[in-house]
Amino acid sequence: MTLIAILAIPLLGALLCWFRPLRKHASSVTMLCSWAVFALVLDVAARVIARGKVVGIPGWFEADGLSALVLLLVSFVCALACVFARGYMRHEHDDGRLSWFYANYNLFAFAMLAVPCLAGPNLTWVAVELVTLFGALLVGFDNTASSLEAAWKFAVLTIMGAPIALFGFFALFWAYHSATGGASETWDGLRLMAGSMNPAVLRFSFLLVFVGFGAKSGLVPMHTWLPDAHSQAPTPVCAVLSGVKTTVPLYVILRFLGVVLASPTARVGNWMIVLGLVSVGIAAFLLVQVRDYKRMFAFSTVEHMGIILTAAGMASQAADFGAVSQILNHAITKSLCFYVAGVILLILSTREIGSVRGLLRISPFAGSALLFCSLAIAGAPPFPIFLSELSILSAGVEGGHKVVVAILATLIVIAFVAILSHVNRMLLGKPETPVLAYALPASCRFTVWAAAVPVLVLGVYIPAPVHSLLQLAAHQLGGR
Amino acid sequence: MIESIGYNVVQVLFVMAFAPLYAGVLSRLKEMVQSKRGPSILQPYRDIWKLFHKDEVLSDQTTWIFRVTPYLAFVMPLFVTILIPVLTDYPLVFAFMGDMLAGGFFLGVAGFFAALAAVDTGNPYGPMGASRTRMVGFLAEPVFMIVFFTVSFVSQSTIPYIVQQKWVVNAGAFFSPAHVLLLIAFLMLILAEGGRIPVDNPSGHFELAMIDESKGLEFSGRGAALMKWGGEMKFLVLTCIFLNVLVAPWGLAHGHTVADVLVAVPQILFKIFVFSLVLIVVETSLAKLRLFRISEFLGAAFIISVAAMVTSIFPGG
Amino acid sequence: MPSSIPDALNTLCGGLILISAFAMVAVRQVQGVTRFFVAQSVLLATSCFLLAYSQHSMDLFALGLITIGAKVVTIPWVLRRLLPSEFYERREINQVINIPTSLLLSLLLAIFAEFLVSPMVNAAHNPVISLNLPIGLACLLIGAHSLMARREAIPQLIGILAMENGTFFAGIAIAPQLPIIAELAIAVDVALIAVVVGLLTRNIQETLGTTEAASLDELKEEVAE
Repeated sequence: MTLIAILAIPLLGALLCWFRPLRKHASSVTMLCSWAVFALVLDVAARVIARGKVVGIPGWFEADGLSALVLLLVSFVCALACVFARGYMRHEHDDGRLSWFYANYNLFAFAMLAVPCLAGPNLTWVAVELVTLFGALLVGFDNTASSLEAAWKFAVLTIMGAPIALFGFFALFWAYHSATGGASETWDGLRLMAGSMNPAVLRFSFLLVFVGFGAKSGLVPMHTWLPDAHSQAPTPVCAVLSGVKTTVPLYVILRFLGVVLASPTARVGNWMIVLGLVSVGIAAFLLVQVRDYKRMFAFSTVEHMGIILTAAGMASQAADFGAVSQILNHAITKSLCFYVAGVILLILSTREIGSVRGLLRISPFAGSALLFCSLAIAGAPPFPIFLSELSILSAGVEGGHKVVVAILATLIVIAFVAILSHVNRMLLGKPETPVLAYALPASCRFTVWAAAVPVLVLGVYIPAPVHSLLQLAAHQLGGR
Repeated sequence: MIESIGYNVVQVLFVMAFAPLYAGVLSRLKEMVQSKRGPSILQPYRDIWKLFHKDEVLSDQTTWIFRVTPYLAFVMPLFVTILIPVLTDYPLVFAFMGDMLAGGFFLGVAGFFAALAAVDTGNPYGPMGASRTRMVGFLAEPVFMIVFFTVSFVSQSTIPYIVQQKWVVNAGAFFSPAHVLLLIAFLMLILAEGGRIPVDNPSGHFELAMIDESKGLEFSGRGAALMKWGGEMKFLVLTCIFLNVLVAPWGLAHGHTVADVLVAVPQILFKIFVFSLVLIVVETSLAKLRLFRISEFLGAAFIISVAAMVTSIFPGG
Repeated sequence: MPSSIPDALNTLCGGLILISAFAMVAVRQVQGVTRFFVAQSVLLATSCFLLAYSQHSMDLFALGLITIGAKVVTIPWVLRRLLPSEFYERREINQVINIPTSLLLSLLLAIFAEFLVSPMVNAAHNPVISLNLPIGLACLLIGAHSLMARREAIPQLIGILAMENGTFFAGIAIAPQLPIIAELAIAVDVALIAVVVGLLTRNIQETLGTTEAASLDELKEEVAE
């Protein structure tokens, strides 16, 4: 029942935001809904940890370790982002547009929450498409030339993935149906039957889904929409897009990977490693020459998606654990990065790295937050991303992927240096032009603090429930 | 044996007799669609008759090529006629002398000499038309080849009679994508080779825009008549290949009696009439392409023919 | 080789669908692209009905109706309502790659599609699958290609929808037993895609005064001067 409530609440929220008398309070309504969802998801996660699985309607809505992890991340980031939006969107728009924004935001959250809850692959496809559509509307919300351009690129490139992935799901259904002769199709059923499905069809369908949804999660060469969308969308949307929207299609790919790995003959791991490395490599070199700090964080998302993919392709237990913890750490850290970027944008109203100097003097709060989050996202030692990257690399060495590990480590170092040299430029030095004092909205300040807490905590200590959730998820990923 | 030779002669006579009529019907229909009255459908006969009774003027600058060309242009389509099913659906005596490729060669010889003759005259428009025809020819050649390959993949033969049997017997093959694509590619070829509208305007009189017609400008009297008649026969032969071999292999004589063959004549004529209606629709709904767009048109034909080949090679086609 | 008449007619639809995919690449006018898309959708629906008849499947029949409703009626109508008519009179003179090259590339894609599915088709021993799967995949790839080669917004959208047509053409053969609820959800989703992208196009037109997606090139990684 909780699963259905999780999906119903954002829908209700979207309706309420449209409801005329409540339009003024759209922001509060959204916050209320998001936090209620977050609370319910915590409950679901607790039950998943205890029992391994939560069933809403058998065969329709089910949640296991991997889906509970994604649910947790989506609801957490969405809940914080709408707090941030309250302060960020305050002066920009009139009530009508704002309520439209929040209604859309709720629908966006609904679609993202639906993806991990659904048990059947075909409806998962529908949910992923809805994510894309509402995402496109949110990216183009500002209605300026450049935001519409970003929305257009986002829409065309990611929607193009839709029919390709649908083709893959049809092929998957074909393989499943001819193996079972008519059982209804769920991820669990697929995994059980993987051994008796035609491996050629299975590989073919995985290839299509991988290409189709890879475009949606920003993998090279379909990554070009990502920096544009992230630099142009309203900042709270960026946090959601980068932190979890890219993770959601990746979740489907990883789910499917679990099915393919359960089949003894269909081998796909090497594709994943190669494409993952290509993504990391391209992103690392683009990071060197980037000139806009929101785009910088966007490219870092491409990099992290590549790392997760590479880890999943290694297909060992340790690497799977590394991959799921990378998903977790990336989501919480990257959303923090975008909150900080939003704060800087509010203070300085420029996105160019070149025109930001001496941020530490202009605003010690924003400056230190930027230092903190960029160290965290680049993977400096005390932070969680460092831990998960380290565990991926060591899993690779254990699994005998020495060359892969060498390349991956080199690229991660390049990205690290690139991010920190840009940030260094922004933080230090003297401000070139005097900047007007800007009163930062309390909600923005609160969001940054609140988002920093898990980043700080997970770096030094992984609580037992989180650890067991990660292990459950890694287990799901491995197809074992 | 004797009867087989006889039917072959009947086929040749059929093509000779009805080629001008076909041209006349086409031009009349086209004028009617354009709300004009148009010439009588017998006008091509009258033209040929008139030209035969005029004196022939031969420039003393020309060589034997110019003199030989009209005869070649007249004879080559007739050679093709004895290779293809025009009236009967069983192979006649010369049927195995050459396949569709041989037919292409015969028509190619005629085209080659026509081009040489056009250059031979020294008339400025002739070489221009010749080079343009060659351009269309170069672009059309690969399509022809691919069409033949596809046909041979499907029916294991390029002898027109055997190919024709393939489509009649097997309805599944008739509707297969390979066949449909082949038809469209071949129709585009006929339009190009016959100098019909998206490629060339047969009724145009503006020398600079001509492709096919300008090659024959210097011919007069008997030469002009033979060129004209040969061109009309070439188009009829192409139509016959298209209709009797590829599209609608029905209505051909099946029996071996003279009556059977004679009954086939009106049936074939009816088929050709229906095809000319289709042709008119195509021609009036399209505009003539600029010269450099012709490569696109034939490129599209090429693509379609290769697609046909691909779908026929791989399983399921 | 297919034996029954519906299957034979289905193969005919398959050939025509492939041709319409090529035609959508070759046509310059926005209007023409739209027309070929509608024609392709009609063919797809016909194919649905034929397979529904030969396999006695209500689901496929419903899918055919949905296709007609969504792609033949609703989407063109919505796009017409949403966008001013000058959209449709536009011509693309400059495409990213010229049309013959574009056609050649689509041909290569079609060959690639045949090549990719041939092992699966050989294993299936089903004439409908062996026809629909390669053609569907070819349409998918050609649609993706035309999406990249086009510069106008509407043809790009139509490219996406043509990709969807290819997917469905393969889908009705390989997954005819797909639950009707999934089919419905997918169809609604397709319609939504069209509406949302149409809305975006209108906003772009209103803000920028053009629908040439190629003019959207403000955002890119600048090279340091």
